[in-house]
Amino acid sequence: MNPDRTLPRDWFPGRVPENVTVDPEAYLETTYSFQLFHSAAADALHIGRGSSVYLGVMFDLGEHARVNIGNFVLMNGARIICDREITIGDYSLISWNVVLMDTPRLPTDAGRRRLALEHAARQSPRRAGTEVAASPIRIEANVWIGFDCCVLPGVTIGEGSVIGARSVVMENVPPYAVAVGNPARVIRQLEPPEPDQYASTL
Amino acid sequence: MSRTTSESGSGWSHGPLPANVRIGANTLITADYAFKRFRSKLSPALLMGANCTMDGVHFAIGEGGRVSIGDFCYFTNAVLLCELELRIGNYVVIGWNTTIADTDFHPLVPAERIADAIACSPLGQGRPRPEVAKKPVVIEDDVWIGPNATILKGARIGAGAWIEAGSLVTRDVPPRSRVLGNPAQVIGQVP
Repeated sequence: MNPDRTLPRDWFPGRVPENVTVDPEAYLETTYSFQLFHSAAADALHIGRGSSVYLGVMFDLGEHARVNIGNFVLMNGARIICDREITIGDYSLISWNVVLMDTPRLPTDAGRRRLALEHAARQSPRRAGTEVAASPIRIEANVWIGFDCCVLPGVTIGEGSVIGARSVVMENVPPYAVAVGNPARVIRQLEPPEPDQYASTL
Repeated sequence: MSRTTSESGSGWSHGPLPANVRIGANTLITADYAFKRFRSKLSPALLMGANCTMDGVHFAIGEGGRVSIGDFCYFTNAVLLCELELRIGNYVVIGWNTTIADTDFHPLVPAERIADAIACSPLGQGRPRPEVAKKPVVIEDDVWIGPNATILKGARIGAGAWIEAGSLVTRDVPPRSRVLGNPAQVIGQVP
């Protein structure tokens, strides 16, 4: 990041918001990712050392949202819909068109939803309501989430797990599991690594 | 503070609306690509109520396609693929990257699919395409559709239904039911 919070070779003429911290050794491709960034939290977003956030990742963050991206995380074209808290652990891989949502944004009750939509139509610029209770999402370390997956509010995905492409994860996934399908189910367990297999000394 | 028109004054952020599009007061349409694939020759081809927000929506409407959308709808980056008819009620919410299609796009029968592939090719100039199955999609009032969902031809989604993220809807959804999965199944009622 440049001193004026622009990004080197950014195609979009934007700046990184003040409440975002990007490790000097992380890569953030474009400030277009902040087009829907509305968080006013002090530590709204952290991108850790060695992590890459490529084109197409969208941080759709509500006023109180906090997102923490660990170290050596690879993200490519994910939609982060967050009104409360989403954490992504070290070494996790998030593929194209993945949706991580900690909130449905609008009330499930149709009557209350109508009021929220009438309120949204009076906003300039337009924004759908964010008054719904959100439940944090926790992606632990070394998780791999395949193309087009959706992770729904309140879900924790355990360390080392793999989520197959196009899965919809609505329940917690234990560590070192392979979960696939819509809704996602665990189909097998993976061998946890020996401690000395964590060889990274970077 | 209400804003009754877009910066262009037309309701669309990128210029005047096509002549066969009618929208109500305080409805906003964004994105330069909104009408890139809008080819309908009907009039009106797109009829939309008041107070809607169409943020980054693709109106990919074929020559004989007709879309109606009620009041207070809020769509984010939805793709509407219409060759026949999409009928969407009031207070409908559609999440990011959701696709709604009222057509199969190509024929099912293998021989006809070959004819279609040729007709669609750069060498198919003027050759008529075979008939393709189409059925209207109807989405009633107060339906919520999550991100990454797909709604296919002939589906009627009943009032107040809740379509979870990533669902593939191929059949009718009863009013006030909650559906999930591929293919989408009813997993409960909206509380």
